[in-house]
Amino acid sequence: MKPQEPIPHNYSMAKLNLIFAVSALGLLFVTGGIVLYDYVRGWKWFQWEFIRIQQERLQQDLRAAQQGENRTRMAQLDKQIKQQELTIAAHRQQYVLAQRDLDQWEGQHYAADEDYRFAKANLDAKRYELEMAVLQKRRDRAQTRKEYIDLSNHVDDLQLRLQAVTRDRDAVQARVNAWLKKIKDAEDTRKQLTASIDLVKKQLAAVSTNGQFFILNAPMLDFISPTFKIDQVVLPDLFVNVNYMEVPRVDRCQTCHRAIDQPGFESKKEAARLSAELQQKLDTYQIPQNKRAATEQRIAQLKRIQDAPQEILNPWRTHPKLDLFVGSASAHPLLEYGCTSCHHGMDRATEFGRAGHVPPNAKMERRWSGFWNVAKRQWGYEENPFDETPMYPRQYYEAGCVKCHANQVQIKGGAQITRAEATVELIGCYACHKIANWRFTGLRKPGPDLTGIAEKTTPEWAIRWISEPHDFRSTTRMPSFFYQRNMVGPAVPAAERAQNIKYQDAEIRAIVEYLFSKSKHRVWPAPGPGDAARGKQLVNTIGCLGCHVDTETVKGATTGEMRLARRTDFPLERNYGFNLTGVGTKTNAAWIYNWVRNPKAYYPEAPMPSLRLSDQEAADVTAYLVTLQKPQFMQKPIRPVDPEAVRELAKGYLVNTRTDRDAEAKLKTMPMHEQLVYLGQRSIEKYGCYSCHNIDGFEGLKPIGTDLTIEGSKALHLFDFGFVHDYKAEDGVHEHVLHTVPSWIYNKLRSPRIYDDLRTKAYNDKLKMPNFHLTPEEARLVTTVVLGLTKDQIGADKIAATDPQTRAAQEGLKLVSQHNCRACHIVDGYGRAIASLISDTNFLPPDLTPEGARAQSPFLFNFLKDPTVMKIRPWVSVRMPTFQFTDAEANTLVGMFAAEGKAHEFDNAVYSMPPASNVAVGREVFNMLRCAQCHATTPVNPEAPPVPKTASTQSLAPNLTLARVRLRHDWIPDWIRRPNEMIPGTRMPANFPRDPATGGFISPLANAIDSPQFAKSKAALMPYFKSEADLKRTMADPVALTEYLRDYIWSIGITQIRAAAPNQAPAVIAPPSMPKQLPAMKTGRAEQGGGVTAGR
Amino acid sequence: MTFLKDFINTLSAASTSFLLLTSVFAFVVFFNLLEGKIRSKVGAIFIAFGTLFVVVGFAVRPLLYLGIAYFVILFMLSNLGGRLWDKRVGLRLLIGALAAFGLSMLDPNFFLIAAKPDNVPIGAMIFLLGIFTWIALRKAYLNDRQLAAGGIPWEKTESDEKLFTWPDLVYTEMLCMILLTIVMIVWSIALRAPLEEAANPTSSPNPAKAPWYFLGLQEMLVYFDPWLAGVVLPTLIIVGLMAIPYIDTNPKGNGYYSFRERKWEIGVFLYGFLVLWSFLIITGTFLRGPNWNFFGPFEYWDPNKLVPLVNVDLSEIIWVKLLGMPLPKLWILRESFGILLVLAYLSLPPLLAAKPFRRFYLKMGGPRYYVGSFLFLFMMALPIKMVLRWLFNLKYIVHIQEIFFNI
Repeated sequence: MKPQEPIPHNYSMAKLNLIFAVSALGLLFVTGGIVLYDYVRGWKWFQWEFIRIQQERLQQDLRAAQQGENRTRMAQLDKQIKQQELTIAAHRQQYVLAQRDLDQWEGQHYAADEDYRFAKANLDAKRYELEMAVLQKRRDRAQTRKEYIDLSNHVDDLQLRLQAVTRDRDAVQARVNAWLKKIKDAEDTRKQLTASIDLVKKQLAAVSTNGQFFILNAPMLDFISPTFKIDQVVLPDLFVNVNYMEVPRVDRCQTCHRAIDQPGFESKKEAARLSAELQQKLDTYQIPQNKRAATEQRIAQLKRIQDAPQEILNPWRTHPKLDLFVGSASAHPLLEYGCTSCHHGMDRATEFGRAGHVPPNAKMERRWSGFWNVAKRQWGYEENPFDETPMYPRQYYEAGCVKCHANQVQIKGGAQITRAEATVELIGCYACHKIANWRFTGLRKPGPDLTGIAEKTTPEWAIRWISEPHDFRSTTRMPSFFYQRNMVGPAVPAAERAQNIKYQDAEIRAIVEYLFSKSKHRVWPAPGPGDAARGKQLVNTIGCLGCHVDTETVKGATTGEMRLARRTDFPLERNYGFNLTGVGTKTNAAWIYNWVRNPKAYYPEAPMPSLRLSDQEAADVTAYLVTLQKPQFMQKPIRPVDPEAVRELAKGYLVNTRTDRDAEAKLKTMPMHEQLVYLGQRSIEKYGCYSCHNIDGFEGLKPIGTDLTIEGSKALHLFDFGFVHDYKAEDGVHEHVLHTVPSWIYNKLRSPRIYDDLRTKAYNDKLKMPNFHLTPEEARLVTTVVLGLTKDQIGADKIAATDPQTRAAQEGLKLVSQHNCRACHIVDGYGRAIASLISDTNFLPPDLTPEGARAQSPFLFNFLKDPTVMKIRPWVSVRMPTFQFTDAEANTLVGMFAAEGKAHEFDNAVYSMPPASNVAVGREVFNMLRCAQCHATTPVNPEAPPVPKTASTQSLAPNLTLARVRLRHDWIPDWIRRPNEMIPGTRMPANFPRDPATGGFISPLANAIDSPQFAKSKAALMPYFKSEADLKRTMADPVALTEYLRDYIWSIGITQIRAAAPNQAPAVIAPPSMPKQLPAMKTGRAEQGGGVTAGR
Repeated sequence: MTFLKDFINTLSAASTSFLLLTSVFAFVVFFNLLEGKIRSKVGAIFIAFGTLFVVVGFAVRPLLYLGIAYFVILFMLSNLGGRLWDKRVGLRLLIGALAAFGLSMLDPNFFLIAAKPDNVPIGAMIFLLGIFTWIALRKAYLNDRQLAAGGIPWEKTESDEKLFTWPDLVYTEMLCMILLTIVMIVWSIALRAPLEEAANPTSSPNPAKAPWYFLGLQEMLVYFDPWLAGVVLPTLIIVGLMAIPYIDTNPKGNGYYSFRERKWEIGVFLYGFLVLWSFLIITGTFLRGPNWNFFGPFEYWDPNKLVPLVNVDLSEIIWVKLLGMPLPKLWILRESFGILLVLAYLSLPPLLAAKPFRRFYLKMGGPRYYVGSFLFLFMMALPIKMVLRWLFNLKYIVHIQEIFFNI
């Protein structure tokens, strides 16, 4: 065979080997890279960092525990132990001997015990043998019986021996113990002292980063039992929507927010707030005795946090409101509510950006966006366009309350959201924007009725008003529809601006023309002569100013100069009625007179109640109100309307349904007035005036605005951001528009036409939402509510306030809100806006927080319907108005008060009659406590009791004969015991002070009964008690004393009052004859002639 | 710089049509380049064509850019001549292209699209396609030169050599495997999987794009109804690819690279693959933005950009615009021009077989000629329709909505 020709290699083998070596190493490295990439997670770093923080904290705690007095005591104990050991060593010989003795005896005891137990076992076996022998009639049964008896005796012997040995051993044991006890006692004390230190040490061991820790968390090994792991809470009845499917939330927030449910990691600011809060509770005995020690420890912990060198930063902070959220004892424990159910965000995400964190402002967005840098709090944030439920930014946190608490007017612990919802109700967002939840349905239209506008004011005023309501009243809730940013703003080209102004002029004029042509023209009787000074006095004292503000200027907080008022300068409740400024310019004496006498006569659903003014009072008030003039407003020029603009606009509507030719023909047949009325109707439709006002011809129309029922769930891409990024708001604040839903809503509220900036739009296509001139704070509140309106699904038992009693209470609270009771009263803990106007608290309308527990339901019902049935405090000048509640409404309110006062609506104790002896004792106690100093006890007419003549207003108090029909049987003694706790600041003195040690009440008569001044009383009381001891026992018992007092008060009370008068029917006034068309208008200073009327 | 970007943005919209319009001619230029010469007659036609573009371009703005770009490329190609296949020139071209791409990455809008993890492979594909096409054509050029000089193809000389399976083949294969694995791993770590939100049938992403390999088909849907673009044409692509061995019976060029011996075969394939398939994928990836609107490479993908929809049918152009008549009620009458036009297009092969393409007809035989030319006609239907759309806003040539038959 021919030898094969050598074939040369195509490549150098050495080179290939080298490449192989290098690439194999490369593969190894990248494989390591896979492991590393899989291993390195942001959340692990957060957990690692938290371990470090924990160690730091615990070491700090350890140092604190080891320091101070503990330290010296411990050193003492150590010394003691050492000394005992020395003593033992000194007497070692004796101790050793005793110990040896003991050992020996232990051995003997063991043997004796064993002998006894074995013998006993044999005895039992023998007993069985004997029984069988007897049963089977065996011949050897006599023998067996003998053996059994012998054995039995033997067992008894052994038992005796065991007892003897045990006794001896115990004696020796005692000797040894006596030696040992000395050391043991000291050690036990030491153990007690070091218990807290041991606990901290144990905790430290649990978070120590030792070898085991590293092995458990090593890459590739961390599948076994890692300490770094994702923590999650599964919430089976709180759902997240995954397109057509509701899946339970799985919150993993705790993976990084490690300390969220552990107290002790608060920020310094929070720690200061919490410790002050707790200290205050501690000082006022609000914390039960058994929890005081724990509270003190907690305060000490919070103090340590404030003194710590390092501030705890997010995400390692404790939730700031553990008593309300997250804490296991709170209303929203972590395991049941998780985090995203309130905060929103991606429940399952474990990365900063993906979890749906949303920057609260532009500054924060810039900071977060920086490349990951822990020191600078930069997290490499990126907006996640795929997150459909981003978190609520910080300033809107309480939006999360709405989805479960939409059934409530007031949310306990949610001051912000309660105020926000009240703001929405006051401003009236719900009128134009349907919000289909309980809170915002069934509310009245926020604007006044316009079907009688011609009776009330003039077209000249109405035109100026619609043009810019804020020029007339800076605090008005009526928004500005016209001449807004997208019509006349700087970004609008000049030619277009001029055209827009013409159009807007025409629309305003047309709306006024329509309203006045459709208006009723009733003629109201004119008032008699009135005294303006007295009228002013009345307005200031009878309570008008609870709902109405009478000024338009306030002193600026920073500058101290007078400036135009905003709504936020006054309590929310005082914006309920219109600002009285300029009311004389707006309307006429006849209308005011009839309105203040009976508002329901003008408009049956008028929110204004009747203050039961007499004709003269009404005339006085009218005389005063007509003096409130604002003449400069009527000087504002009214531009004459361009007939061409009217024509063009009207035609614009006409061509929607007809051709251009037909529209032109139609217009030719319409005189100017008709064109205006037509345009007015269309403009009212366009701007949605009818959503807030009753307007003839617009009954039953759907509201104009977007439905907001699930606005908070609307996807980001459905919001039109226009071209605006930042702008200067009308109040000079520089606002930024972030690409987030909250920011969009906020800026829409701040400047409703902002998203039209730089856009090219036809006149009728421009944004129409009017400008409410909301302050940043108001806009933030309203945004909070809108964000909270989501479509999130919640389990039935997570929805708040669903039980019938709470429902009734909430219905009542809604009525309270709708009728603005809080203008004068405190209801459920807050309100009484009028308080700032009345300096003497004795003249304030009452605090109604305990009203349900205080007043009997029948009385309350009658009083609410007709406050004239009883005058409790005749010296108070503020009048409880007649609201003309229906029976159903009054019942709802009564039910609400009962529920809020945690009392039953029906009180059978009302009918109980106190025994005569109780009454007699009560009268004596009444005298001894000198109650009659303030309270009268002579019967009076409940409808007009005399004002008590006292030297000081301090001692004005209700007549007690009115108590029986009004107050609850159980409430009276309770009230006498602790008036200040029920109504803080009450004038009723606390006769029964609390004992700071026990928290119980102390009777002032306990010792005083023996004093000489009460000798007569004592003698009078003696017949009612078995012995003097019994008397003294009773006098020292606050409960018994107050009940005697109650029985006395009960006995002197009247038992009946008049029933409420039926509601007044609205007055019917004959329709008069007045011109249907508008008269020629006075157009102010710039009167030019011509205009619309000239063209007619 | 801004001006340049604007210019390129406008150009890119136009250059798509330009590439399709001129690609046929460009290939002819290529053929001649491969032979190292441009015939003066052909050159004159090109110059006249470009001039026409520029002149008309003053009226129809995109055509101006088109004409300018046309001249630039023509100049580049003619100047390079045979030197295009020089290794150093190839390298320079590659570096130039990479540099242009790298510089473009400085533009935030371009970067946003090109650096998107889904799009990175498409970016790589542009270069890989260019490199491999260049290598293949270079080999063909070298072989052709050798053959012309009476030599033998390079592959022939190589096939006589002998090599060990181990280590020469298997070892190098293993090395390739390892290196490729490394690249894939590094890639998968460096660029995260572009996961998006949970699928939601009620809110589709904008733009909604097909997987990258179907973007060419998606682009076709802009110009044809689904039954054509989604059913008939893809079927014909597959059938046509299967038919290649039966139609192409040219024995030359087997086992070695050659262009001169297979001008038509290579030309048609490269046109179909590079221009009608790969280029449309690249267009779909980089130049189609929200609402499937066309965006230049440096343009911001604004979802609010509005493009007027003013396309008209051929019947409207003829009846309403040219003849000033209402559209006939009867569809067969209304669409008669369109139908005639389509029939005329389809009857081109037999007509051409009579005289101009007689040579082909005789060489291939009847069945091969007809099958091949029909496939070619269907292939060319796409660029023709595209150009008609761009130039005349033509919606349908035949539009019979009564029976849902639209071409």
